[in-house]
Amino acid sequence: MSPIIQVSDLRKHFKLARHYRGFLGSLRNLFTRQYRLVRAVDGISFNIEPGELVGYIGPNGAGKSTTIKMLAGLLVPTSGDLFINNHIPWRDRKSYVANIGAVFGQRTTLWWDLPVIESLDLLQYIYRVPAERFQRNLDEFRQLLDLDTFIDTPVRSLSLGQRMRADLCAAMMHDPVLLFLDEPTIGLDVVAKERIRQFIMHINHEHGTTILLTTHDLSDVEKLCERVMIIDHGKLLYDGALEILRERFGGKRKLVVDFAQEYETVEVEGAEVVARDGLRVTYEFERGTMTASNLIGRLSTLFRIHDLEVREPDIEATVRRIYEERLLEK
Amino acid sequence: MSYVIGIYRRLISVQIRSQMQYRFPFLVDLVATGFITISGFVTLAFVMQRFGSIAGWKLGEVAFLYGMVETSFGLMDMIFSGFDPGNFGRQTRLGRFDQLLLRPVDITLQVLGSEFVIRRLGRIAQGVVILILALTMIHIHWTFVKVLYLPVVLSSLIAFFGGLNIIGATISFWTLESIEIVNIFTYGGTEMMSYPMQIYPHWLRDFFSYVLPAIFLNYYPSLYFLGKPDPLHFPTIAPFLAPVAGFGVLGIALAFWKFGIRHYQSTGT
Amino acid sequence: MRLFIELVKRSFQRQLTYRAATFAGLATNFFFGMLRVAVMIALYGARSDVNGLSLRGAITFTGLTQALIGFLSLFGWYDMMNSIYTGAVACDLLKPMGYFTFWLAQDFGRALAQFVLRGFIIMAAYAVLIGIVFPQGIEQWAAVIVTMLLAWLISFAWRFLVNLSGFWTPDARAIGRFGFVLLYFVTGFLMPLRFFPDWFVRLCYYTPFPHMVNTVVEVYLGVLKGPQLVWALVKQASWAVLLVLVCQLTLRAGVRRLVIQGG
Repeated sequence: MSPIIQVSDLRKHFKLARHYRGFLGSLRNLFTRQYRLVRAVDGISFNIEPGELVGYIGPNGAGKSTTIKMLAGLLVPTSGDLFINNHIPWRDRKSYVANIGAVFGQRTTLWWDLPVIESLDLLQYIYRVPAERFQRNLDEFRQLLDLDTFIDTPVRSLSLGQRMRADLCAAMMHDPVLLFLDEPTIGLDVVAKERIRQFIMHINHEHGTTILLTTHDLSDVEKLCERVMIIDHGKLLYDGALEILRERFGGKRKLVVDFAQEYETVEVEGAEVVARDGLRVTYEFERGTMTASNLIGRLSTLFRIHDLEVREPDIEATVRRIYEERLLEK
Repeated sequence: MSYVIGIYRRLISVQIRSQMQYRFPFLVDLVATGFITISGFVTLAFVMQRFGSIAGWKLGEVAFLYGMVETSFGLMDMIFSGFDPGNFGRQTRLGRFDQLLLRPVDITLQVLGSEFVIRRLGRIAQGVVILILALTMIHIHWTFVKVLYLPVVLSSLIAFFGGLNIIGATISFWTLESIEIVNIFTYGGTEMMSYPMQIYPHWLRDFFSYVLPAIFLNYYPSLYFLGKPDPLHFPTIAPFLAPVAGFGVLGIALAFWKFGIRHYQSTGT
Repeated sequence: MRLFIELVKRSFQRQLTYRAATFAGLATNFFFGMLRVAVMIALYGARSDVNGLSLRGAITFTGLTQALIGFLSLFGWYDMMNSIYTGAVACDLLKPMGYFTFWLAQDFGRALAQFVLRGFIIMAAYAVLIGIVFPQGIEQWAAVIVTMLLAWLISFAWRFLVNLSGFWTPDARAIGRFGFVLLYFVTGFLMPLRFFPDWFVRLCYYTPFPHMVNTVVEVYLGVLKGPQLVWALVKQASWAVLLVLVCQLTLRAGVRRLVIQGG
């Protein structure tokens, strides 16, 4: 089975002229030539198999949105090969776009003054979705995303969470094989985020939709993605399993223990006490030197334990460490 | 093909339905835009009453020019509002254009269908009224050819102004700002074409004959309809060049637009 | 008072930064001016005087009206209603000067800048390229300054009123468009009111609008002399006072509504 996304040595360079704004400015642009070469995407390569759910993360200005725009067919690459779903995205735009979906967190793809259901009907016509399939999808997504409360409401009156659910539904109505999600949970509360994540998992598992997820919210990545790609300064720093990322760069893990009774000293070998609050003690331990079960074993022979919890390092902290300490460049 | 028409029809219907939701501003605007046209005409009528004629053209004849321009510009403004240069740069900056690129439909068609400002009907209706008024005031010897040619001239005018709009939109694409200079050609153009163009200084006339062929779109066809002699002594075919001028400008504008889109796709601004 | 001057200065400076828009505006003004000059020349034909206006005066009229567009914001001004809709009005109402005075000061700065950048340059271009009429003597120049200030005040009051509708309805834009469309016609902007039939002109003068443009034109061109001139200025001043009063009353009503409705 060949990968659905094949990216090879993809580059996008922008020649930024010193930008004068406005009409006079663009006249001036015609006469002066002062360029600065910006390597937004500087030679990245990866393959994605059908059905994968991949996270794509990086700091602002790293080249994330430029990559996504190229993958979506909105930008023509400067060089490199791009082959997605048997298409060269920017070349065969119309036939390529008919089989993919995209949701951008910042703006809606729906028509502002129309009730949601009418937007969906219009999209049915545009994507030429057969009536039967459309109805089937509508019934399924309606229920999963709980759209009935606002399906007749114009998009302009929707809350952010409702709009996002409507956008997700709209993006899936034509059964795309590939879905680009750009910041789908941005600005949402915890409950709404969870509902969106459930939906994303559902369509990935049940429909086999390949999903590329760009996000700043690393708990999205943790909950959804097994594979994550990190981009910075236009280069791919990491491409692999989330677990391995955590293992190699995760740093210290924590064990939070609720003791059954008061103890004077709670020191134990192989771990460091980092917080103490009544009966609750937090230990920190290195992944390499001590396993969680080992530590738990040791503690339980020394003390009476009421409850405990293993806390993995915050992926956000991990990724930040990677950027800051340039761990992946070693 | 029916798919294309169906898309356009649906996109337009979305626009109309959206606008109808805001009934009050719609009605007010309808009256307001009509008022501009009417007041222009009343001004013209009063002035002509005092002066009798302008360069040998009487009120009815000038009103004919005025009515042709107002009707066609109003129609263009309604149909081509997706390309309105005043708005287009801002919409692109907001990411509207990217959204259109993600749909499996021809881009030009989508931009055309993205706006359809029905309040322009005010101007169109007034333009038609003035045209009819003009026709009652003057005496045209109607021939079969003339009757056929009138809608041709109107559509050429629409194509011409539409082309100007598209050029303006393409420029604002690059600069991401609204381009005010285009107003010279659209609003200035309509004002200019509402009078017999022989009154203008030769450098202005030359520009609007050889660079932007506006003179062939209203002035020369009107000479033909009204049976007036040509003081500028252009070749006798001049009155019939309207479709060439109008659709020629539109064609060039569309080519420029397509070039602009390709440029956008490769630099992403 | 110091605050007032500060606001004027700040607004003036802000206008000076819009260079590209100014250039485009100037080009548009010039183009329209040229068109209208040609129309005037063609209209006059062999005539030298029409109802008190010479050809040279009519030509000067076309330049004057273009120059006044920016100065009087004839084509629309929506800044205030925009600030109402964004909620900035709440801050503005709390400022240590009246709301009306606040916007008055800012508009004066804007008008001054427009006068310098566009108005003056247009008239200069006209003077150099075509030759125009100039006011004669100190008194006439003084009268021109007075009439322009009054015209600006009247135009500001009208724009203020129109924008005030934002306190009552979300559709102030549409009302604004309508309110500004009136200005083309009745102010004497499209054509000098002297070209219109006398009965119509008399009707127009029941409104403040002709005092925005036509009065300025006639004072400048010297068509109004002696007692006629004084009477015109008095009428203009009266309208200005009346409109400012109406603004204050309407503002008070608007603020009351805002407070009750809670925005």
